[in-house]
Amino acid sequence: MFILTKIADLVQIAPSDFSKHSIGAIEHNINAKYANRVIQKIGLCICLYDLLWASEGLIGHGDGFVNVNVEFRMVVFRPFKGEVMLGRIRSATPEGINLRTEFFDDIFVPFEELPQGAEFSHSEQLWVWNFDDGERLFYDTHEIVRFQVIDEEWHDQTPAGPSQNDEEPQATAPYKIRGSMAREGLGVCLWWDT
Amino acid sequence: MKILESQSAVLTNFEVYEHLVDCKKRSKKTRQRLGPDNYESIVKGVKAWLETPPGPLSQKPITYTSSSIPTLFARLRPYDLSKGELSMILNLRPASVPALDTIIEDMGERFTEEQHEEIIAIIVEVLGRFEPAEEAEGEKGARENGGDVTMNEADQDGDGNAAS
Repeated sequence: MFILTKIADLVQIAPSDFSKHSIGAIEHNINAKYANRVIQKIGLCICLYDLLWASEGLIGHGDGFVNVNVEFRMVVFRPFKGEVMLGRIRSATPEGINLRTEFFDDIFVPFEELPQGAEFSHSEQLWVWNFDDGERLFYDTHEIVRFQVIDEEWHDQTPAGPSQNDEEPQATAPYKIRGSMAREGLGVCLWWDT
Repeated sequence: MKILESQSAVLTNFEVYEHLVDCKKRSKKTRQRLGPDNYESIVKGVKAWLETPPGPLSQKPITYTSSSIPTLFARLRPYDLSKGELSMILNLRPASVPALDTIIEDMGERFTEEQHEEIIAIIVEVLGRFEPAEEAEGEKGARENGGDVTMNEADQDGDGNAAS
């Protein structure tokens, strides 16, 4: 689920932080800049893992910031294709089921990736898995499920300039995961765990 | 900002969990105020998620130790599992053969049924497992009989009251 990414960046320490130890100030700076942010094609940054190298601090003209070049490793959330992981059912629509984890909200399982016999119940607004013998299993909201990562989508959030036509830009999440619950053993955990 | 290596290592959930607990301990020691909002919320979210059942890290006390990962790799080496499969085993801790089937590709072709059971047994031995329900009930029964006088013994005329 998680990987380590090596990043090189410039950290600017404000004069108000000079009383802190350099490592603490640099860590604080990096966490403030990267935590809970998505880097395109890399993943969702969680927190700093370790600091590999930091240069001497140089003060530029005009302001009192100490500029430090750093190289560090960051814990990044990026499940690989084919990975099986846990998710919680957030909501269901006729197109599929939305899943989330406590820290990531944009996981979608389209209806094609649900097992044979699954159908959407409009009255209860959730998906139901029907068996030939009449037994029915429900994909209840807030249940934990096991799913497999099929694909990921990246949407660059760099702002586009004002366009000629006055259409509102679509707000999409920068990083979306597409999952599947079709295989045996996937789906609501309670069904499979004794 | 420059990305030097987009994937320099893969971390298991356990390693990330240990790292977050470590960071929390360190910041408590230096008695720092709370970090920036985005950092606190994501760290809280990841920790809460890793402790959510049926994830294996939700079991208290945690059955993983610092030697769990190398021990598991050594024990599972003869089965020639890929790195992704090994990390999923550590993250999900499958306790049954169908659960293992979701993780391992072509399990029926690569291994015999005996080997499936062997792999599960190794996982249970190295990583532990959730207490099955029967054991908990058995303990409850033992506790009831161990007390001085239970309700059933005190109730002599069978009317549900201890006093006759």
